[in-house]
Amino acid sequence: MSTGSSLPYRLRPNKAVDRELFLSLLTRLTPTLGLERYHYVGLGGAFLEDFRLVHARLGITKMTCIETDEQVHKRQLFNRPIASIVCVHARLEDYLDEHEFDTPAIIWFDYTNPKGITTQIERFAQTIGTVPIGSVLRVTLNANPTSLGRPDPNDLSVEVEGEASEDRALKPTIQEWRLARFKERLGALFPSGLTADGMTFKTYGPSLLRALKLAVENEALSFGDRRIVWALATHYADGQPMVTATLVVCSSEDQAIEKLVKSWEFYATTDAPHRLALPALSTLERLTMESNDNAQIKLGFDLPESDMGENPFEAFKKFYRIYPHFSRVEL
Amino acid sequence: MSKPGNDRAQASPTKQFFVSMLTRDISLEDAILDLLDNCLDGAMRVADGNKVDYGNHFVRIAFDKDYFSIEDNCGGIPRDIAKNYAFKMGREPDDDRDADTETIGMYGVGMKRAIFKMGKEALVRTRYGNDTFEVPITSQWLEAKNWDPLPINEPTEASEKLAEPGTTILVKELYEGVARHFANEAFENRVRTAISEHFTMFLQWGLKVELNGKPVDPVRVEVLVSKREDGPAPFVFRKTIDGVVVSITVGRNTNRSLGNEDDEDAGFERDRSSATAGWTVLCNDRAVIVGDKSRLTGWGDGIPLYHPQFAIITGIIEFRSKRADKLPVTTTKRALDTSSNVWLESLVKMKEGMRVWIDYTNQWKNHSSSEQEQMRHWEDARPMALSRAIETVASRKATKRLDGDGVEFNPKKNKVLPEPPGKKPSSRRITFSKPAEEIRIVAKALLDDESARPGTVGEKCFDLALAKAKKWVAER
Repeated sequence: MSTGSSLPYRLRPNKAVDRELFLSLLTRLTPTLGLERYHYVGLGGAFLEDFRLVHARLGITKMTCIETDEQVHKRQLFNRPIASIVCVHARLEDYLDEHEFDTPAIIWFDYTNPKGITTQIERFAQTIGTVPIGSVLRVTLNANPTSLGRPDPNDLSVEVEGEASEDRALKPTIQEWRLARFKERLGALFPSGLTADGMTFKTYGPSLLRALKLAVENEALSFGDRRIVWALATHYADGQPMVTATLVVCSSEDQAIEKLVKSWEFYATTDAPHRLALPALSTLERLTMESNDNAQIKLGFDLPESDMGENPFEAFKKFYRIYPHFSRVEL
Repeated sequence: MSKPGNDRAQASPTKQFFVSMLTRDISLEDAILDLLDNCLDGAMRVADGNKVDYGNHFVRIAFDKDYFSIEDNCGGIPRDIAKNYAFKMGREPDDDRDADTETIGMYGVGMKRAIFKMGKEALVRTRYGNDTFEVPITSQWLEAKNWDPLPINEPTEASEKLAEPGTTILVKELYEGVARHFANEAFENRVRTAISEHFTMFLQWGLKVELNGKPVDPVRVEVLVSKREDGPAPFVFRKTIDGVVVSITVGRNTNRSLGNEDDEDAGFERDRSSATAGWTVLCNDRAVIVGDKSRLTGWGDGIPLYHPQFAIITGIIEFRSKRADKLPVTTTKRALDTSSNVWLESLVKMKEGMRVWIDYTNQWKNHSSSEQEQMRHWEDARPMALSRAIETVASRKATKRLDGDGVEFNPKKNKVLPEPPGKKPSSRRITFSKPAEEIRIVAKALLDDESARPGTVGEKCFDLALAKAKKWVAER
């Protein structure tokens, strides 16, 4: 596999934070929804790390892990940390089509492939109408704008802060070119009014989330018995930029869950996702930053700014509680 | 033999029947677009036969779960029109407004229908010149059995006056389903898209439309035209039929390519075309239909059904007349009257133009490797809207002149379209699917690149097998 999905979590600190946020949301929901009786469905990767944590934190035993690659599937069977995990060699979409949920479910559409983004969004949106009320759905999408294609540089013009190359009138900028491709890919899902400004490394993620939200809201119009409560949205890059969104399918009368979610410390919707861009730190740096309000002065040096342009000290302050610390163990 | 008696049987329509019939055959989006149509007709009346400066006009639409409002500065309703016509259900034969303007309203139901579609309480406030008044439509009036005239109220407070001549409509007590739609962002997006498509010409001329506080931008429906005499150009046709000026162009849009596998989506071919592929029909500058890919506009009727292969084809047809009833539109103004003569005659030309481009995509579909070469031919072609495309093509020497103002240009007959290099009629397409992990193995072995395009991997496999087969045949 050439995608980033097989990298271990210790090399992807922001993905680890994203997962902690998700688990923290589930922990908040469980007294109200009784998640221990839910069915957890996900793509576990070779090590099924998510499954182990979901079981440990929430006590869910009914768990299904889906995998298309046969070798990875076999590896999952070997690595399976909890006996009750059922590993299925199939596509997630096929599994969902063939399965009837008798309890509410937590489904994580952990997509990493940037191609087929439209099908991924459509599939996620459709699922809100087919799962039992109370279900929690989560999706990860690849938010790398270069996945829209790499045009020949000769076919592009350049414009930065009012300055433009001579061929500006004749050729599109990279962002305009991407916007045209994005439009082609999304077809009817394209958010009206989206401009080329939404096609940069930093803004493409939120643009994708916008398309996702519209697709889900559009689907929700067809169902009178349920409504959508968005709970968590994140945008991060450990190399490959990704976005995630999590929602709860509530009954149309329900107010309690919405209230619970909105008062959560890490509540974030697709309109304003959390930007996860945490710095890599030594043990000493971390302990110093945790125990001091004026960490920057105490350290006496600047930390490098992330790819997403976030201030590392502020990012740390916001998420340090759930920032995992990895250290090396020699076997 | 019976003789006339003194009793009379009531035959007038009940209000409830009328309202429910009227609102049934229109969608909520179309009801909103109808109100916008009224604003534009207003702007045209203000100009009184002169060129309308749309840059001076605005329309602000806002809605949420408990209200709908639309506000314009398009001239307002004159008091005598309000008294006698504007609030009547249907147009009177003696209402002779708009005889000389290219308006589109003709049935006189748009505003009422839109209001009744949305809710039970409405207030129409208007200022014509310096005369401001308002007409409330209440749920009591709606439920009452008789057809009493609506009251016309005079403003008493400054807040009830309008800053400029124009009209505002406020609807409250929304129906439940309507409220659910108005609170939904996807619905808002749909309305925004519909406005940007249907009113694209007016938006391009400077009309400012705001939806929930955000300006709506026009969607451009354009075809590629080269200014070179022998450069690629669209099919073009213009003629006056039955008092209606019909202008047609069919050409290539800016969609990328034919049969490119880069975006392979879950293994089956998707239609990646933007909304502007297919046919767009304009009547007096309103886009009645945008990007139609159905039998309505000729697809599958003597030519192939629409298929993603044709995503690069855009057709635009425009009907223009001062007599709104001559235009091939239905009462909702978002659908075509396909039995009208002018439409049927135009359809023949539309299909002729489509055939040119269907052939073109057929010729190129098995030559994806020479895609670059095809693009070189189009390098100096620029996207143009209908009128500019016709003007540009009309200036070519090869363009045929017809009677009056008519023109016709067929790019295939004039041989201005690029042809694939070494075009072999014997080329056949091979398609098959294999598991991704196996493709990766072959890709790695043949191309040293695990992520090579499946199509490329397949081609290399074939080249390899072909070389082997030739050798094997030779050795025998």
